[in-house]
Amino acid sequence: MIGPGIKRGTAELAILSVLEGASLHGYEMARRIEQQTKGALRFTLAALYPMLYRMEQRGWIRGTWETSSHGRRRRCYRLTPAGKKKLSPLRQEWSELFRALRQLTKVADA
Amino acid sequence: MPDWRKLVNEHLAALALEPYERAEVVEELATHLDETFFDLRRRGFSEEDAAERCLSEVHDWHDLRRKIQSARRKEDIMSNRITQFWFPGIMTFVLSEAFFGLIQEFGTRPGILVWGRPPIAMFYIPWLLSLSLIGGIAAYLSHRAGGSRRAVLSSIVFPVPPFLAMFLLLQFPFYFSFQEIAGVAFPVSLIIDWHGVHHITALAFLSALLGWVLVPGVALLAGGLPIQFFLSRRLASRRVVSN
Repeated sequence: MIGPGIKRGTAELAILSVLEGASLHGYEMARRIEQQTKGALRFTLAALYPMLYRMEQRGWIRGTWETSSHGRRRRCYRLTPAGKKKLSPLRQEWSELFRALRQLTKVADA
Repeated sequence: MPDWRKLVNEHLAALALEPYERAEVVEELATHLDETFFDLRRRGFSEEDAAERCLSEVHDWHDLRRKIQSARRKEDIMSNRITQFWFPGIMTFVLSEAFFGLIQEFGTRPGILVWGRPPIAMFYIPWLLSLSLIGGIAAYLSHRAGGSRRAVLSSIVFPVPPFLAMFLLLQFPFYFSFQEIAGVAFPVSLIIDWHGVHHITALAFLSALLGWVLVPGVALLAGGLPIQFFLSRRLASRRVVSN
């Protein structure tokens, strides 16, 4: 199980990554992250929306109201060019961190 | 099924955003809870279990409200800092300088404390008393603007770092020229004899630090802390009454 500190750090990367492929509303986003990480990352409503609003303020994502075929209004988020630009170095940073941790644990196991 | 809009609306009633913005947030969160509920029902959960799981999405509504407010109103972080810290802090400093200038202007004689040969400590008692009043005003202004305990405390002692900076500047041999250039009366509650500056001792330095920086800091806190304590108590008792 991944601890809350690491989860906080990975949350931005997770949101940017799921939005890379499609424009999603909050609930879809939370479900998709949970499914794709096999439950390791789970966003509650209380964790997700402050994060989305903060990322929107930073200009990484943009939310717009859309009406579904059932007539339900939902706010869908998509990546902005600034968000796309942010995603690549963020991925790089995390992959370096995980590589370093793998290296460290290998040394510790040896 | 619970009325999610009503529930979210009630919990976020105090969300300090523009009405249309607040309505959007309520709509969005309520839609999320709707979706969660229907999804859980589709997956075989009973209505009660699904509702309970939806409610467990938010443990602390007060905390969620605070986080949403802070995330959506980025510019307010700056304006809060100004009203809760910078304005009371700068006002404290300006008033303390002005009072010191007035006290010097009207020729109030300082209380003299002699610790042997130089240094001679000169405490301006009226100025120290006025600092208590100024500290109290700073605490009141910062608290009234919704400042945290840290912001209130920082506002009260705001003049201390400038006092320290000026004190350190005055330890250098350009003492007179600096004072002439600045053309203002510094809140020097202890003045080391000019001849002593060249041969400053650790004792002189410490006693000057005490007189110029620490005692004024204590005087500011002596006025500010009781006000902060009183206002916090009053706020807490109001909360108890309203609950």
